[in-house]
Amino acid sequence: MLNDRILKRIYTNKTSLFGLIIVVFFLLVALFAPVLAPVQNSNNPYQLPQKSYQIAPQPPSAQNWFGTTEQQYDLYYGVVWGTRLAFKIGLTVTFFAFLIGLFVGGVAAYFGGKTDEILMRLTDIVFAVPSLVLAMVIAAMLGPDIKNMMIALTAVAWPSYARLVRGDILSVKQRDYVTAARTLGARGPRILLRHILPNAIYPSVVVASLDIGYVVLTAASLSFLGLGAQPGTADWGQLIAMARNWVLGTPGHPFAYWYTVAAPGGAIFMFVLGWNLLGDAFRDILDPRQA
Amino acid sequence: MNAPVQITHLYKTYTRRRWLGKNWEKPVLKDVSLTLEENHVLGLVGESGCGKSTLCKVLLGIEKPTSGQVLADGKDVAVLSKSEFKKLRRVMQVVYQDPYSSLDPRMTVRQTLSEPLDIHGLKKEPRERDAFLKDLLAAVGLSATQLERYPHEFSGGQRQRICIARALALDPKILVADEPVSALDVSVQAQILNLLKKIQTQRHLSMIFVTHDFAVARFLCDDIAVMYQGRIVERAPAEELFLHPQHPYTRALLAAVPSVQGPCLPPEELAEAPGRTDWACPFAARCAYAQASCKSNRFELKEIFPRHACACGVLPFATEKKKSA
Repeated sequence: MLNDRILKRIYTNKTSLFGLIIVVFFLLVALFAPVLAPVQNSNNPYQLPQKSYQIAPQPPSAQNWFGTTEQQYDLYYGVVWGTRLAFKIGLTVTFFAFLIGLFVGGVAAYFGGKTDEILMRLTDIVFAVPSLVLAMVIAAMLGPDIKNMMIALTAVAWPSYARLVRGDILSVKQRDYVTAARTLGARGPRILLRHILPNAIYPSVVVASLDIGYVVLTAASLSFLGLGAQPGTADWGQLIAMARNWVLGTPGHPFAYWYTVAAPGGAIFMFVLGWNLLGDAFRDILDPRQA
Repeated sequence: MNAPVQITHLYKTYTRRRWLGKNWEKPVLKDVSLTLEENHVLGLVGESGCGKSTLCKVLLGIEKPTSGQVLADGKDVAVLSKSEFKKLRRVMQVVYQDPYSSLDPRMTVRQTLSEPLDIHGLKKEPRERDAFLKDLLAAVGLSATQLERYPHEFSGGQRQRICIARALALDPKILVADEPVSALDVSVQAQILNLLKKIQTQRHLSMIFVTHDFAVARFLCDDIAVMYQGRIVERAPAEELFLHPQHPYTRALLAAVPSVQGPCLPPEELAEAPGRTDWACPFAARCAYAQASCKSNRFELKEIFPRHACACGVLPFATEKKKSA
């Protein structure tokens, strides 16, 4: 019944349908990456195949559909496998940030008092530093690597969930239906699991779905700055980083090497857009009053 | 046989610990004694903040009494263990004021009404459960087809019917109704009041009914207790209270009910005397009949006529009653 409702909501709303189509498309690309772009280096499928050692990028052709970037790395291969990497980064980081935030916020709201005070001041500290800067510092300290980049992104993403979960639990705790459940004889675990969490968690789920796109965008920034994926990795941010010397084109021809940015940039744009639209749809669906 | 609810010398003070300086303290209930008799409806009437709802919370075990004793179904709610209190829940149930916030928005009517049964492990067999829920809905005037709906699909009055059904699911003997109609439209109020009255008679419920509306209290209650600043200032059978109100505050409340005819004036029983705030009688600052004796004597609730108690030493209206009697 719930599924019917979700599908109905998505079908009736054109923008959310659009978001769903984009995300499903990327999901299919990620799933069928080995079919769409056969692996060249079986040790590491994320290693971009290199056509030659010529410096200048080459425009799209029958062999290289999206063209090649600096040093003849194949952009098509990079975008396809980069999709898989984007899902990996976005979902992993959001999942762990959500989990940590749920735990910290839940503990703070449940125990209150000094525990609450300490945990919330801790989140404030993380909040006080601009997230990209903090992620850069952590990633730089751990060393440039995709795994370390994900740790850095998780470390800056969890406080917003902690704060959201804590606030929602505190507000739901005061509602009459929670008191009503207690006067019916319900005990702590039942009240927490059946009344408080289901009503407190949904705002965070919505934020999480919006966050997946944002995390990928931040990851791309870190890669662009050389703090994430290394040159030659099929990562959207890395592909744009490799286009750095070519984005301005040649004198008189500013768009001479447009394809070096177009494919990876377009992929990032569409990925973030898709998740944003889908996140909005989730927000509407998860509110029972909208059904 | 014990009275369903017996409250003796109940005090409740809210305190907040402070890091520095004195703790913040707010006494809400002061020396409240009440008895709810079997099959009776006891009305608690008073203005906002007089402690009516706190009294309910203490009775339901949501708040602990500071001192005094609260017996519900013969058991002291302050010392009951968790499992004993769970048993008491089956005997004593509650209907809240706001039907919009007292139903979980993510649960269908079926889930909401099933919850008390699940908690207490009753009516586990699916077909029996289903029939029971349908009967329950019918008893509060809703149709069985509405079982799968969510609370937001109902009006305020219908939601309050669902809340009543939830309270009745455990077949309680005592029902606490904390201003159950004050959040509803006047036209719907009457329906819900009729429903409560019908249920009370059919199921032989003893009921505590909190309200600030005298008309509502008169319709439903057998006895009425008037509260002022955490104290009970007058207690009498409903009709007696309306015919012969004794305490100046009760008179003022009755006179304050707006009338369609004529202008709405402040009742003549009320006066503005802010200088009297430190007087022993808590009502003195607003009382038009206050005398010098009210300055040092706080009058305890005592019976002035049979079954009619009043906490006033001046009793300016007692002669009226004698004349008419």
